[in-house]
Amino acid sequence: MLLALNNVEVVYDRVFLAVKGVSIEVPDRGLVALLGANGAGKSTILKSISGLLKPERGEVSRGEVLFNGQPIVNLDPPERVRMGIVHVLEGRRVFGQLTPAENLIAAASMHKDRGHVNALMDKMFTLFPRLAQRAKAKAGYLSGGEQQMLAIARALMTEPKLLMLDEPSLGLAPFLVDEIFDIISRINAEQGVSVLLVEQNAIAALDVADSAYLIENGRILMGGSAEMLKSNPDVAEAYLGGSHQSDYHAVKHYRRRKRWLA
Amino acid sequence: MDFFLIAELVINGVFVGLMYALVSLGIVLIYKTSGLVNLAQGALAMTGAYITWMVGNYFGMPIWISIPAAVVFMFFGGVFIERSALRRMIGQPVIMAIMLTLGIEIALRGLLPGVFGAAVKKLDIGVSPAPLFVGDILINQSIMIGGVVSLALILSSLAFFNSRYGIVMRAVADDQTASWSVGIRVEKAIAVAWGLAAVSATGAGILWGATQGVDWSLSLLLIKALAIAILGGLDSIPGVILAGVIVGVAESLATGVVDPFVQASTRDIVASVIILATLLFKPHGLFGHEHIERV
Repeated sequence: MLLALNNVEVVYDRVFLAVKGVSIEVPDRGLVALLGANGAGKSTILKSISGLLKPERGEVSRGEVLFNGQPIVNLDPPERVRMGIVHVLEGRRVFGQLTPAENLIAAASMHKDRGHVNALMDKMFTLFPRLAQRAKAKAGYLSGGEQQMLAIARALMTEPKLLMLDEPSLGLAPFLVDEIFDIISRINAEQGVSVLLVEQNAIAALDVADSAYLIENGRILMGGSAEMLKSNPDVAEAYLGGSHQSDYHAVKHYRRRKRWLA
Repeated sequence: MDFFLIAELVINGVFVGLMYALVSLGIVLIYKTSGLVNLAQGALAMTGAYITWMVGNYFGMPIWISIPAAVVFMFFGGVFIERSALRRMIGQPVIMAIMLTLGIEIALRGLLPGVFGAAVKKLDIGVSPAPLFVGDILINQSIMIGGVVSLALILSSLAFFNSRYGIVMRAVADDQTASWSVGIRVEKAIAVAWGLAAVSATGAGILWGATQGVDWSLSLLLIKALAIAILGGLDSIPGVILAGVIVGVAESLATGVVDPFVQASTRDIVASVIILATLLFKPHGLFGHEHIERV
């Protein structure tokens, strides 16, 4: 198992419990999705893995995070990146004042060999030809889709074993969402990079993922293969836009309980 | 008005301005990487000059040893200030960190003259004090050499920011969390910025020390440096060069042209007026990056 979270709890400001005992596994070369609504704790789980909780005054208060069997909770974010964990932040967060090429160079600070960096950059520009066209513009002026591609390319410059993506489809046009997800599954299949994907767009995510977890209120409601989750009627109704077969005359007038909370 | 007098004032003003700009380069370096205004820059310049003088006088070293020794010492001095003082301020309000740098400024300003004696020390870097005549124009040699050396140092820092590590430092300036997320050691980049700021301060301190002697008043360069950094836009190195020239020429003209009319020294209010005017009319300065906002 490449990544394993065992019973992880995350507390912000020492009072607010955002993640309440979550266990997740990402296998080697796997593509795993975390699904859930706003504020469910999905991003917090990613930050507990990448170590980026600290700037937000959060900490893992219980449980363990194992990467390749090694505990990583006490390591700095740059150390974790050097082990092969990289986190593409929500909202892309490209270096706006730098050009795309400089964005890629900045992310290669762990590689000593300049030739290796250039080879990696060429690889990124073949993977994302659009970035090559805009290589001279400031990244802040790229379109949303281009920025997302740049954010992914920048993360790949660190040569990760595990690529974590936080809402890559956020604010993108539907055809771009398809393009981004296409790229993600290609990176996973062709380069053997494991992917942990956080998404609100559950349909798109379940199409590419092998397995997925449903998160609500900082807990895991359900986990399993993507096929299993897609065919689950409750998931279909709550996350995939309903099955359109309800007879609204027969619907009772109290709010339907989510069965899994019982 | 005499053309030669004006030309002389402008030329000397340009060189003086470039020497000021070298002090303010350090403010820009630190602002660019950590978003913090370093108010200890004047005292760092003073310290660099004192150290150079000390290595020369106490250990009897020639100037070509004492300058590199001071530069190396001050680089680690800058790194040490970041490590020991400013890193504790991470997560605290920015104003606390800025006040801390002001505290360092005041402490050094009191400490060094106390240790070495308050009398003005002579720092000889081998430049002749005799003025240089170009036609009818009189140029102060030590100021001319100071200005040229300053310009060279500032331009080389521009080149540095296009190197690989320079790009990393610009990334840190842009977004610290995103920098962490791709494995950049943010704290190290900021420490290096402090080291380089201390080095640029030392360069300026030595050049100024050679023209006016070494004493606590070198730390007053802070005010000019601040005016230049603010006018240049706080995060722009070309801005520092242009703003330095503007401040230098304005001061020089104020001394030569305005002083005889008002029967008083207007030199020292120029910097303050420039700070005030910039903040009122062009808060981003001449070259400051405005925040890129996509709609």
